Amino acid sequence: MPRFATLNATWMVWDGPAPAPEGAVLEQTRELDKFLAEIERRAFRMAQIALRDPDDALDVVQDAMLKLARNYGSRPSAEWRPLFFRILQNGVRDLQRRRTVRKRFMTWLPGAKEDPDNEAQDPLDSVADASPSAPERLMQDQAMQKLEASLRELPARQREAFMLRNFEGFDVAETASAMGCSEGSVKTHYSRAVHTLREQLGEVW
Amino acid sequence: MIERTLEPRQRELEERSRALFQSSVDGLDMATRSRLTRARYAALEAAGTSGRRAWLARIPIWTSAAGVTAAAVLGFALWFGTPAGHHGMMSADSQMNLEDLDIVASSDENSGDAMEMLQDEIEFYDWADKAASTEPAA
Repeated sequence: MPRFATLNATWMVWDGPAPAPEGAVLEQTRELDKFLAEIERRAFRMAQIALRDPDDALDVVQDAMLKLARNYGSRPSAEWRPLFFRILQNGVRDLQRRRTVRKRFMTWLPGAKEDPDNEAQDPLDSVADASPSAPERLMQDQAMQKLEASLRELPARQREAFMLRNFEGFDVAETASAMGCSEGSVKTHYSRAVHTLREQLGEVW
Repeated sequence: MIERTLEPRQRELEERSRALFQSSVDGLDMATRSRLTRARYAALEAAGTSGRRAWLARIPIWTSAAGVTAAAVLGFALWFGTPAGHHGMMSADSQMNLEDLDIVASSDENSGDAMEMLQDEIEFYDWADKAASTEPAA
């Protein structure tokens, strides 16, 4: 009898609850999933405004999600937001740079077709499920199209500063962290962006 | 005066643009939302897989280190005796083994010498063998 009691006691230790690290990883994955679900739509729209193409925007957002989860998932969750948007902005910039290089290369080729990125955009593409029976919604969409067009005219850094501060609600320090520049630069970029937008949209808004 | 008029206009621009942006986010079509959800799951899955791969990549180091450690512990245990914590089980086992040994080794007081008993049995087996060989096959 004492022999079985000893064996049982030993097995009870082996058959204990799951080790703590696995539970911690699961909890972290849930938290990361929740964070990404909260920001993914805004991130997509910001990328879409900068890139104009929804497929490219989706690729950049997914890439940013993957890099955040893979490289920074173990960091404190408070750091995720500026890190994610920094990755996202870098992805947008890389894609724009590649487009510029491709456009230059295409102009050197004889008989090259026009870059599809330069094709006139169908206004219906950027209308988000607008119902004809909702004139207010239609007006909102038109105003948003004008805003997007004006934002695209801005230099990239000014656009980033405006979108991060105004759309995402970052303060100056968070914006500087996400953009990888000084707080003074953020203030300058933002001020210039607001000035330009006001000049372009002031009369029609 | 100019600053006072500019500031409300700036605030108005900020608020209106923010509201429009949020409205466009809320109005995203279901197909795009679905694609974003799938992209999120794919990113989390890929990150999890890469984490497992990184863990698997360290296995050879773990196994070699664990093997050396296990060999050292086993050698220590064999050399210096029973490791602490296993005394209960080991003493129970050893007690059981000793009891079995006692049963096997013990001799009945009424059966006389063990060698004498063995001699009797040899004679019995010899008789049984001869009886079997002389018996006609059925």
